[in-house]
Amino acid sequence: MAALDLLGGGFLAAFQFWSFMTIVTGLLVGVVAGALPGISFVNAMAMALPFTYVMEPTQSMLFLGGIYVGGVFGGSISAILINVPGTPASLPATWDGYPMTKRGEAKRALTIAVTASATGGLVSALVLAFLSAPFASFALKFSQPEFFAATILGLVSVIAIAKDQPVITMVSLLLGIVVGTVGVDPLYGQARFSFGVPEMESGIRFVVVMIGLFAIGEVVDLLATNRDLRPKKSQGKAIGASFRDILNVKGAIARGTGIGCLIGMIPGAGATPGAVIAYGIEKQVSKRGKDFGTGVEEGLAAPEAAKNATTGAAMVPLLTLGIPGSAATAIMLAAMMLHGVSPGPLLFIMDPTMVYTIFAAMIIANILMIFAGIGVAQLFSTLMRTPPAILAAFIIVLSVVGAFGVRNNIFDVYVCLAFGVLGWGMKRVGFPSAPLVLGVILGPLAERYFLTSMANAQQDWTVFFTRPISGTILGLALVFILWSLSPGIKRLWIARRA
Amino acid sequence: MKTLLNKTTLGATLLMGAMAMGGTAMAQGYPDRPVELIVTFGPGGGADLMGRTMAQLMEGPLGVSIPVSNVGGASGNAGLTQLRTNPADGYTMGTLISLTVASWASGLGDNKPEDFEVIAVVQSSPSFLFVPSSGAHQTAEALFEFARGNPGAITVATSGYGTQDDVTLKLLANAGIQMENVPFQAPAERYASPIGGHTAAIYEEPGDVAQFVQAGQLVPVVVFAAERHPEFPDVPTSAELGIDISGLDNYRTIAVAAGTPADIVAKLSEAVATATASDEWKAFCTKTYSCITPVTGDAAQAMVSDFRDLIAAQLAN
Repeated sequence: MAALDLLGGGFLAAFQFWSFMTIVTGLLVGVVAGALPGISFVNAMAMALPFTYVMEPTQSMLFLGGIYVGGVFGGSISAILINVPGTPASLPATWDGYPMTKRGEAKRALTIAVTASATGGLVSALVLAFLSAPFASFALKFSQPEFFAATILGLVSVIAIAKDQPVITMVSLLLGIVVGTVGVDPLYGQARFSFGVPEMESGIRFVVVMIGLFAIGEVVDLLATNRDLRPKKSQGKAIGASFRDILNVKGAIARGTGIGCLIGMIPGAGATPGAVIAYGIEKQVSKRGKDFGTGVEEGLAAPEAAKNATTGAAMVPLLTLGIPGSAATAIMLAAMMLHGVSPGPLLFIMDPTMVYTIFAAMIIANILMIFAGIGVAQLFSTLMRTPPAILAAFIIVLSVVGAFGVRNNIFDVYVCLAFGVLGWGMKRVGFPSAPLVLGVILGPLAERYFLTSMANAQQDWTVFFTRPISGTILGLALVFILWSLSPGIKRLWIARRA
Repeated sequence: MKTLLNKTTLGATLLMGAMAMGGTAMAQGYPDRPVELIVTFGPGGGADLMGRTMAQLMEGPLGVSIPVSNVGGASGNAGLTQLRTNPADGYTMGTLISLTVASWASGLGDNKPEDFEVIAVVQSSPSFLFVPSSGAHQTAEALFEFARGNPGAITVATSGYGTQDDVTLKLLANAGIQMENVPFQAPAERYASPIGGHTAAIYEEPGDVAQFVQAGQLVPVVVFAAERHPEFPDVPTSAELGIDISGLDNYRTIAVAAGTPADIVAKLSEAVATATASDEWKAFCTKTYSCITPVTGDAAQAMVSDFRDLIAAQLAN
């Protein structure tokens, strides 16, 4: 009951006028920044950091928490409406969300997405509030072999997502992994594939690749094909998703939420792998799995729920252990440290009011997100009535700014433009670019976890299979890949027999 | 909570005040516009906290705002390359820390000590070996004894190969205490690993793991310094245990590009001195166990080049 009392106190504190306004402001900033291609919620949080200097520690967390929750969802607005993911985690939203928009069901897609996101986020916030302590000790059981196994599961999910082209998906994925190896290796400090260019030594950032492939690539395609983005007539009448629509995808939302909560707790994983794995699993589990990619509601709901379900979960290791699991929570850590607050086990004893105010704020933020999300989405639909050329110009400017902002380096802008041209070319010939981005994100993680695991296990590779959690996850990955390839294998087998 | 409004107003007033002061400073020249501070690592780490605290405290004496930008990558070399290639006009400062200097010794990056003018060394801390409180070996003697009998069986979480962490472990190995270096690039994962029981020990400066030490999750067992640390008087130095390892302290500096005019360097040096004399800074460095009398001028410059040579010599062994 103590937790409930404290949470009640947290709600009272969070509902104070200025605290509440801070959450709302953060949320709106997050949704808008997330929705703008080129500005991810991580960028927005980093930019917001100096503003938190003048706030109280708790307030700064409410602000950043609001941006985090709003930003993770916001990316899906542009993903669904214009096929440009606003943040990497919204990549799966383009696969089934955008096809719905093309059918004239943009509003329905957005309503399903925001409901799924809010549900995932809300459950995750409740998990944070009530299960922090047991989950924290569970998270500590995870070490490098487990992180490696989870990353492999993520990579395998990418292949499982492939509709009917596993081979070129794998080629694209491997290409991404190669791009991810550019730069100084994480352990030995040796430069690879940098061709003597100093800027390349610091590697190619996945955000830059993503902005290039999707935002720039999409815009060039938009201009080249003279496509009309304006909403179809029918869309004006079609109101959001009905209650029945939501009920129909409740299974997908539940599964996505569960996956997101689990993945979110793993330090280093975060929203993107969460969303991708949820999509992959949903594709296998759903009755309509075969149709995924054509605008199936479950394919939209599951990853949407999963990515927001990582938000609360990712704060579990931050608040309970003082260990940030992702870039977003690292920024929160910075904000707390700058105020002289060290998150960790002591925080629960020293300042429970702060901790429970943050819990309450995360719950409130996820509920408010439904309104903020729909409001901003409305704004964006209006934006889409602007002529494509003007819209394209805006997206390009934002993309360039976003690429530059990753680490304030002009070189990244060139890389981004190069990937833009590549992305357009890939789109033209029907070569999937999403696996490439995921390869760039997951490849370096897999490498780092693999090398550290090996160093820790006296170079004994069996460690990945003998550790129970790691072995289970890898087993799951194997089942997963066999399952997704089974139709092909079966076909081959029958052909062989005939 | 009215305080936000008050604080915002206060902040705005201060900002306006700062701008007005910037206006008067313009008459005397530097600085007449914001001075950027490049933090050469991502947000949330030790360098970031130092940079952001320093930026806040230097705004007063310099009279202009000091925006911080995180340019991480390649052990801090990405940000330093930017500092080096920006105009040497004093409008870009950067954090230059010992970890990056050590990376030069192992051939990383294309930066050299001569490329930078060190304004001041502002933080320094010796490193310790910490063991988890749940671990099997609760003293350095027990830990080393076990390592002597079981070479490579003790795993130590470090920040990487080719760093002072690596050098320390190599020196220990030369003395017959062979422990396995397990590099973790992400600090959070590094801290979590001994606490979760995945590594037997961690090589770290106390400031970065203060919260875990205070919570009793990590126990310091040995300090690699000439003398015992005043905050941890019960922890023996490695020399007391028969292996003299010192001079590998983790330090952090504020630097500008070489060739910055001397009067600008002097002005910045003065601002850093004012900042480090403030109560806020004292509170910050006490909390991170890293207070030192700031080292400036040629001594600071020498500290950087000597450190690079020392690490290079050790790695060559």
